[in-house]
Amino acid sequence: MLSVTGLGKRHPGAARPLFSELRFAVGAGEVVALVGESGVGKSTLLNCIAGLEPADTGTVLVGPDAADMARLDEAAAAALRARRIGFVFQAFHVLPTLNVAQNIAVPLLLNGIDAAEHPARIEELLARVGLAGFGSRWPASLSGGELQRVAIARALVHRPSLILADEPTGNLDPRTADEVLSLLLERVRASHAGALIVTHSQHVAQACDRILALTPEGLR
Amino acid sequence: MMRLGWWLIRAQFLARRGATALSMLAIALGVALGYAIHLINDAALADFSRAMKAVQGEPDVVIAARDGAGHVPLALIDLLSRDEAVAVLAPVIETRVRIGDTPMLVRLIGLDPFSAAQLMPMLLPDQANDAMGRLLDGAVFASPALAAKVGADTTVIRGAARWQTHIGGELPAAPAGERLLVADIAWVQAHFGPREGVGEIRIRLHPETPLAAWRASWAPKLPAGIELRAAADNQARVSNISRAYRVNLNVLAMVALLTGAFLVFATQLTAVAQRSTQFALLGVLGLPPRQRLLQVLVEGLAIGVPGSAGGLLLGFGLATGFTRVLGGDLGGGFFSAASPEIDAQTLPAAGFFALGCLASLLGALYPAWLNRIQPLAQALKTGFAQRQRPGAGHALGRDLLLILVLTVGALALTRVPAIADLPLGGYAAITLLLILGIVSAPLATRALFGALARAWLPAPQKIAVQNILQAPLMAQVAASGLIVSFALTVSMVTMVSSFRTALDQWLDAVLPAPFYMRSKAVPLPAELLADLARPDSPFLRVERMAASSFSLDPQRPAVALLVREIDRRQPGARLPFSGAVIDVAPTEIPVWVSEAMQEVHGIAVGQQLRLPLLGRDVEVTVGGIWRDYARQFGAVVMSADDYLALGGHFEATDLALWPRPGQEAVAQSWLRGEAQRLGVEAAASGEIRELSLSIFDKSFAITHALEAAAMLIGLFGLAVTLAASIWLRARELATLAALGFDRAMLGRAVVLEGAMIAGIGLLLGLACGIGVGAILTEVVNPQAFHWRMPLRVPWTQVLPVAGLTLLAAMLASGIAARQATRMPAARILAGAQ
Repeated sequence: MLSVTGLGKRHPGAARPLFSELRFAVGAGEVVALVGESGVGKSTLLNCIAGLEPADTGTVLVGPDAADMARLDEAAAAALRARRIGFVFQAFHVLPTLNVAQNIAVPLLLNGIDAAEHPARIEELLARVGLAGFGSRWPASLSGGELQRVAIARALVHRPSLILADEPTGNLDPRTADEVLSLLLERVRASHAGALIVTHSQHVAQACDRILALTPEGLR
Repeated sequence: MMRLGWWLIRAQFLARRGATALSMLAIALGVALGYAIHLINDAALADFSRAMKAVQGEPDVVIAARDGAGHVPLALIDLLSRDEAVAVLAPVIETRVRIGDTPMLVRLIGLDPFSAAQLMPMLLPDQANDAMGRLLDGAVFASPALAAKVGADTTVIRGAARWQTHIGGELPAAPAGERLLVADIAWVQAHFGPREGVGEIRIRLHPETPLAAWRASWAPKLPAGIELRAAADNQARVSNISRAYRVNLNVLAMVALLTGAFLVFATQLTAVAQRSTQFALLGVLGLPPRQRLLQVLVEGLAIGVPGSAGGLLLGFGLATGFTRVLGGDLGGGFFSAASPEIDAQTLPAAGFFALGCLASLLGALYPAWLNRIQPLAQALKTGFAQRQRPGAGHALGRDLLLILVLTVGALALTRVPAIADLPLGGYAAITLLLILGIVSAPLATRALFGALARAWLPAPQKIAVQNILQAPLMAQVAASGLIVSFALTVSMVTMVSSFRTALDQWLDAVLPAPFYMRSKAVPLPAELLADLARPDSPFLRVERMAASSFSLDPQRPAVALLVREIDRRQPGARLPFSGAVIDVAPTEIPVWVSEAMQEVHGIAVGQQLRLPLLGRDVEVTVGGIWRDYARQFGAVVMSADDYLALGGHFEATDLALWPRPGQEAVAQSWLRGEAQRLGVEAAASGEIRELSLSIFDKSFAITHALEAAAMLIGLFGLAVTLAASIWLRARELATLAALGFDRAMLGRAVVLEGAMIAGIGLLLGLACGIGVGAILTEVVNPQAFHWRMPLRVPWTQVLPVAGLTLLAAMLASGIAARQATRMPAARILAGAQ
């Protein structure tokens, strides 16, 4: 689902590259944790994979027969993200002016999926993340755990090849974090997508199938 | 994708109802003002044209005397009648007369019924009851508007000439509301002249005749003092009368539209800033960059479309209501107060609708671009990137260069002469000056507050100064709105104050006598003048003036000819000269021309001119240029002695009267009685002054409303952008709160910041306003209206407005600060915003 080869990045003016020659892959239904100290480049790596920041070297292939994300222009990268990637963020990032169903529908709209299909897909996902009947609720009325469940539903609704999650449980209390993590892992595996989860939490990392540690020397 | 766009627009409008509605209103007002001006003027011109066709018929060409005292000689009529290209030739004498001893002034048209039947049928009576026979026998026929007011027998009077006649019937097809009499030309000529010719000849050519070639062949054959006007010349002449006035009103409409564009800009910029995280999220989820740009543009258009549609309706309503109440006169006094029908045609409506939409798109353009280029990952994490790009070491040099270029450009544009009689250079210079004000803001901020940053200050003040010096985009936007609105206010106040002061001084100079009497364009009755000359008259001294006009260019409005009892050695005793006055040799004829003549025809003191007077070209010398705020299209003063020496008849239309000492009250009472009896105007100089200033104040009352609107919009822009800026910095404020700032300290910091932004805006606005005021008085007014006046800045009006604006800005900042600090700091820091 994700294949990274020879990826390198150096910030302008920096003495040495943030990372270089990174090589790894994430398979279908596989959940990989990306750990490392602060400032080592985890978020930059995630941005490079998502096409939000240009890499200096290397290739990033997302899904089968995909173009190299690292070589796409802004518009093409956006189109590829819309089709192949689902995102889950630490700060939830649920649009406050759209209701729950509308938030989940955003990736469907971006992919031009027939509007007739939306209600069924959204209802099904809401049920699976434990929010059945929440479609017409507004984000302001939801708890942190509920907001992250909406984000997970949104990340999966368009059936992406890859889920990128940045500290998905960082803003949640331990019990809610456990629930959300279990849900995320279950839904990713059930959808046969690959997932790369950036985390500082050993607990989260241990729950994943594999752990990649990013260090100044490279991946371990 | 469209559905997502619609969701975002709806959410945006619901969340920012007030700002959105105000932006729509501003666009609507701009469109309404422009559209209403267009509709009223179009209707007035069409109405005028219809009325003119009714009275004049539809000749291809009119050959007429260039001045009121001239005439078209009979020999020329004879020559023209033998031209095979001429199909119909209709001689006409038109004059203004008084009916009996009533105070009624009417047009008397003398025509040849046989040629008029082909060219001007609307001016003829019904064929029934031998009306034509009675017309030829000396009866006069009245338009319906006049017939209702006069009896069967009447006396037609002009100056000393009287004609006892009877009303033969009505002119059923004459224009509604027009007071006119029609008589056979021979009778009119016999009673009122001219004996040796006619006033004008209206000609219809055979259809196959090429007009331009015919005109070119006849132009050299015409005697001096006669001009040839094509039908198109009349249209141009009518249109030229109000052109500058209309353009000025349209510029005001454009300012209103640009204000709307600014409000859309402020609204959309803050909307983009507040939703930067949301747009970044959508970008991360795959919304293409082009769509992020289009979304903001469409939101701008969503303000513009209903705003423009509302503006069209409002404009139509305004135009309809305005013409019903005030007629087709746009307020400039150019057309008679008829009530023309408003005709809303599709193409102009579509044009104004498009203009409104364009203005709102223009306003949304920069915010849309900012939204397009926001770095997604950074915006998702930290929100809107509002700081200026770091490392702009060349910023100072670039700013200085830009300021220099704009200053030189604006100065150069003020030197550009009028283009097609319009002050386009002046308008462009004003635009550059306003841009100059905006781009000077960062430099002025550094110059004014740079030293403060190095000084020791209490923490809140230090924070405020630092924030200002970093010149966030929002602060610049807030200051820009205030710079433009205050500049426009100061400029209008300055222009109006300069004009009023100049008018006041001018009235002092042109009203030396205690009493005045006038009879518009009709000689005063001979018995009145005889009574005034009697030894027992209550007046010690009477100065006479005869007002008429002449044409220098068939496409331009006529120039006033004022023949006055004036001492040619001391014209300064009666005329307010604006420059040097020269002594003209006794063998030459001096004239003194108004500033409008100087402006339009490029006339200089000492210059020799050939004026079309008394049916011929008369060589005169310009003895001086005088200020005239009464006649916009130019005036020439000549002494009565010179005019009489040239062979002219000096028939007074205006009198200046000095009562005998101690008989002021008797004189005034006598004058009022005579004025009422004869239908002429009489007034004391104090009344004329009061009336003139009151008309001036009423004419410019609208500018006060515009000033208030400009200031409110500027303040609104400041409040909105300040609130958005503070909202964006809520996390920063929360951090300060966590570090120990209490709410009062935060409030002080924000209020000081608002005050500093407003201070910069007001200071630059004041400087630009004085500059724009100077351009209005020195360039725009002389070029558009031919009025010159010395510049005067009314500090007693400007400074209180500045003080109030500063207070309002601080109040707006205080409210914004209170809202920003209402949420607990811990919650904001936890990312709950």
